[in-house]
Amino acid sequence: MINLNINVNNKDFEISIEEDKRLIDLLRDDLKLTGVKEGCSEGECGACSVILDGKLVNSCLIMAFQINNSKILTIEGLGQGDDLNYIQKAFIEVGAVQCGYCTPGMILAAKAILDANQNPSRDEIREGISGNLCRCTGYEKIVDAVELAGRYLNGSEIYR
Amino acid sequence: MIKRGKGIAISYYGTGYGNGYPDVSNTKIKLNKEGKVEIFVGGTEVGQGAKTVFLQIAAETLNTSIDDIILFSEDTSIMPDAGTAAASRQTYNTGNAIKKACEELSIKLKLIAKEILNLNTTEGLIVSNSSIYLSFYEEKKVSFLDIAKYLGENLLIIESNFIAQTVEMDLETGQGAPYWPYTFSACEVEVEVNTLTGVVNILSAKFAQDTGKAVNPNMIEGQMDGGFCMGLGFSLFEDLNIINGRIKNDKLSKYLIPTSMDTVDIEKIIIEDPEFTGPYGAKGIGEPVTIPVAPAILNAIYDAINVRITDLPATPDKIVMAIKKDSKAEDKNGKID
Ligand code: FES
Ligand code: FES
Repeated sequence: MINLNINVNNKDFEISIEEDKRLIDLLRDDLKLTGVKEGCSEGECGACSVILDGKLVNSCLIMAFQINNSKILTIEGLGQGDDLNYIQKAFIEVGAVQCGYCTPGMILAAKAILDANQNPSRDEIREGISGNLCRCTGYEKIVDAVELAGRYLNGSEIYR
Repeated sequence: MIKRGKGIAISYYGTGYGNGYPDVSNTKIKLNKEGKVEIFVGGTEVGQGAKTVFLQIAAETLNTSIDDIILFSEDTSIMPDAGTAAASRQTYNTGNAIKKACEELSIKLKLIAKEILNLNTTEGLIVSNSSIYLSFYEEKKVSFLDIAKYLGENLLIIESNFIAQTVEMDLETGQGAPYWPYTFSACEVEVEVNTLTGVVNILSAKFAQDTGKAVNPNMIEGQMDGGFCMGLGFSLFEDLNIINGRIKNDKLSKYLIPTSMDTVDIEKIIIEDPEFTGPYGAKGIGEPVTIPVAPAILNAIYDAINVRITDLPATPDKIVMAIKKDSKAEDKNGKID
């Protein structure tokens, strides 16, 4: 067993884990953050995306022991229930969610894009979400949603 | 060399199981003690928007807001079967079942309102916003909640169903009316083919979808986007690679589906032509939105390189091989056949 000090969604945790535990399992099984989805387990689909120390990563490819003293953000940390973040609101507003399986990862990918650039072009958005597969939406409304979230962020559009 | 081509395809597709096969959606609705309408229906939501459409159809029929209706779906222990979320049938079949049940509920509610309001008949009664009132004398009014209180433990429950009308084909002649209604689609794409590498890029796409009545245009657009993307994957990338009955491409690193970089924004055209047997004229579009995509893309590839690809997916290796085989392809290109 290994002891870890981590901060997940702005909460500190001190946990002891098995050496071979993946980050995705730590998040889903130990911390019950089931918004982190497992799609492929091999770094292809992005359903398991989380933000680790400011960077978008695939949590299925990271071992839990690698993240001591790190800060992790999952979809639950962005907003839940009625208290939603502006990107989540944009996805709902536009209708960018169908089955929803890719959505947590997509929204975190959107956050990574918008953290770096408040006015991304559609091509930049397509590139930014290209590591996240979606089987349902054909991506167009997701691109629309990220654009709208950008407008919420830079204040050119107001959200409720 | 980079070559461009355009292709179109049109398709029509029947809603439901068809061919005389029993195609039934059942639903149960109840006026609960709080005066809210509860709908129980087995139609499954998989992201296509069934629940939204069910609520919209119920709200339209009961002339109220969707907030006044509570929908329970998918839990088969407490609700009747509404058939599969397949065959593009939920909006049409289950939508019709819900509409019918809500109409029956309205009739029953009016009869009870007549009793409570001490009227001669139900003529002139209007159902609106969870109340019933007399059109020309609005003081005569009773809310759904009043009705629920009046009924007490005798909850008002309506069970209804919709059975699609299709006719089995004549086995001898192959004639008949196996499906109703049909839904029509058209797709146009422009592609760019690299004749050296065989890589196909989609440059632009248009998709026109007949919807009957478009119950939820935004969700229909989402279906068109998704259907195009699946058709694109089917045409260019997706290959199970079945060898001796085993799926060899059994993971996403081998079974490739389109990413956001492979698709383009699609010009979408919704064509509303209400179908008289549909709920408010609506038809199913779940499958139709995928069907003409592959032939449109393959026609566009043909237009670009003058070689027919007949085996899907049209992967770069197949395209390069086909061009080599048809050595005259280079000369022919640019001519109109
Ligand atoms: S589950 Fe991690 S990338 Fe697919
Ligand atoms: S909404 Fe279903 S995978 Fe993206």
